[in-house]
Amino acid sequence: MPEKRILLKNCGRIDPKNIDTYLAQDGFKAWQKTQKEMTPDAVVAEIKASELRGRGGAGFPCGLKWELAAREESDEKFLICNADEGEVGAFKDRYLLQNDPFTLIEGIAIAAYAIGAGKCCIYLRAEYHYLLDGLKNAIAQAREKGLLDGLDIDIHEGAGAYICGEESALMDSIEGKRGEARYRPPFPPSKGLWGKPTIINNVETLSTIPHIVLNGAQWFHEIGTEKSTGTKLFSVSGDVAKPGVYELVLGSSLKELVVDICGADNIKMVQIGGATGGIVPYSMISTPLAYETVLGSGAVTVFNESRQVIDFVYRTMDFLAAESCGKCTPCREGTEAMIEILGRLATGDGRQEDIQALEDLSGTMMLSSLCGLGQAASIPVLDTLKYFRNEYETRIQQSLFLRSLRGRI
Amino acid sequence: MGKITATINGTEAHVDEGTTILEAARTVGIEIPTLCHSPDLIPTGNCRVCVVEVEGTRTLVGSCHTPIANGMVIHTRSPRVLTARKATVELLMAGHTGECVTDEHTSECDLRKLADELEGGAPRFLMRKPRWYPIEAFNPYVRRDMSQCVLCRKCISACREIAKKNVYGIAYRGFAAKVIVDFDDPLTTEICRDCGICIDYCPTGALSKPTKKSEVK
Repeated sequence: MPEKRILLKNCGRIDPKNIDTYLAQDGFKAWQKTQKEMTPDAVVAEIKASELRGRGGAGFPCGLKWELAAREESDEKFLICNADEGEVGAFKDRYLLQNDPFTLIEGIAIAAYAIGAGKCCIYLRAEYHYLLDGLKNAIAQAREKGLLDGLDIDIHEGAGAYICGEESALMDSIEGKRGEARYRPPFPPSKGLWGKPTIINNVETLSTIPHIVLNGAQWFHEIGTEKSTGTKLFSVSGDVAKPGVYELVLGSSLKELVVDICGADNIKMVQIGGATGGIVPYSMISTPLAYETVLGSGAVTVFNESRQVIDFVYRTMDFLAAESCGKCTPCREGTEAMIEILGRLATGDGRQEDIQALEDLSGTMMLSSLCGLGQAASIPVLDTLKYFRNEYETRIQQSLFLRSLRGRI
Repeated sequence: MGKITATINGTEAHVDEGTTILEAARTVGIEIPTLCHSPDLIPTGNCRVCVVEVEGTRTLVGSCHTPIANGMVIHTRSPRVLTARKATVELLMAGHTGECVTDEHTSECDLRKLADELEGGAPRFLMRKPRWYPIEAFNPYVRRDMSQCVLCRKCISACREIAKKNVYGIAYRGFAAKVIVDFDDPLTTEICRDCGICIDYCPTGALSKPTKKSEVK
């Protein structure tokens, strides 16, 4: 399946500083259509029919989420746009924010209308501070044109924590607390920000909304696979000739993306979905990219044969341990225990029982951690143990040999 | 008869709406081990010792904070639960500096009791460097030995919700997370009064009453 530019349609063709160029490209037509012809319920039904799934990584059906929030009775509801793109190797949201902020604003307006939210908040990650002025300017221009009447859009800047991209920690952060995962239930659509019904959607999800409203759910549903509809942005980095943001129809093969489009060769493995993403070895390079198989946030990092698996896993775990919020035991202590093992393996001091310990730890973290970080932290470990077990075993054998030279086992 | 019927380990429980799995299990005489939970405090759900298996969910759920729902089928002692619970307790044991052999408060340590119940034995896991903090005994009311802290955060909740003082907070991230006072300052007589409520809630020997006068600096 080829590249298909739906989300990237306007990128490079409009001036992100000037709303008139966006209006000339059918901008805000979807928002006008929503206001004139559709009831909030009709919008929710339309998104539900399109079977759009969340683009942030978890892939929760967007329409279903909206329906839950729309059904809640409350004097106040909130819409949060998650622009805390902290995932390692993900830069698709930045591309959208930088080149086409108006589509996002239009999407926010439609989403707020659908769920009945009066206040919206864009949670912008600290590292994207330089996008703040562009975004503020875009909102001000839309407001000037009278397009955002009765809708409050705030921009809240993060402070640089990876965990604050997780929805419950993100809400804590907006409330002014320390960003830590909350237990669920209650889920945000019933009790979120300040205890009110809240919808949190990724930048890419919200940017897709105007296209669905304008062209119809049926049109969107025909793109992609049965369970993964539409197109998806991929941010490719690592050992490739042409890194960058690409938009592909869901269900396209990984080979098409990294080999045909980005020109990678001598691939050892590809990590899809950021630091906690799944690993695909070269032997499985024709895997389709879809929610059914492997997708996550759409960050694709390519590793060639010169990369060491254990060093990579160690680095990843080091990052996750540093970014763990420290609330729940399996994540806080588990990542640290994993670092101890992986650090020893990386420096050539492995032990026979290390593989078993890694598997036990992974199982516990996956089952009982509070949020996505702890649950997914062990995915790189488990996947590399599955596909590159021999590298672990070789490293342990080497460690035993090295120790025997030093006269201790 | 309550409004909700759920099955816990094969026994039917009838409870009111809003009851947590932990409370519901207690009504039918099933005890789920807990560490960070206390009936007097708002659950924080951070220790993950009380996890149980609910049929149909991908992960285990914390029983102290999850409200029971109609038709739930719950297992509190399935192999998955026991493995995860044991590993969690082992991690907690490995993470703090143990003076369990010599310390006089060992008999009062809930974590130690939990580990004994689960027949954990010596922890399988090690930490790069277990927590070590100097003992803080700057006032005659509370002696803090944060090396023994397992970050259950009961002291924070107790101080906030019962004593209404909000003395404690949490700082730093990941493994370095620590229960602190103000900006990680010593707990002096100026900040803390003598209510000692936090000591009653501490499951380990991290918070205790100073025994010897000479220890107070």
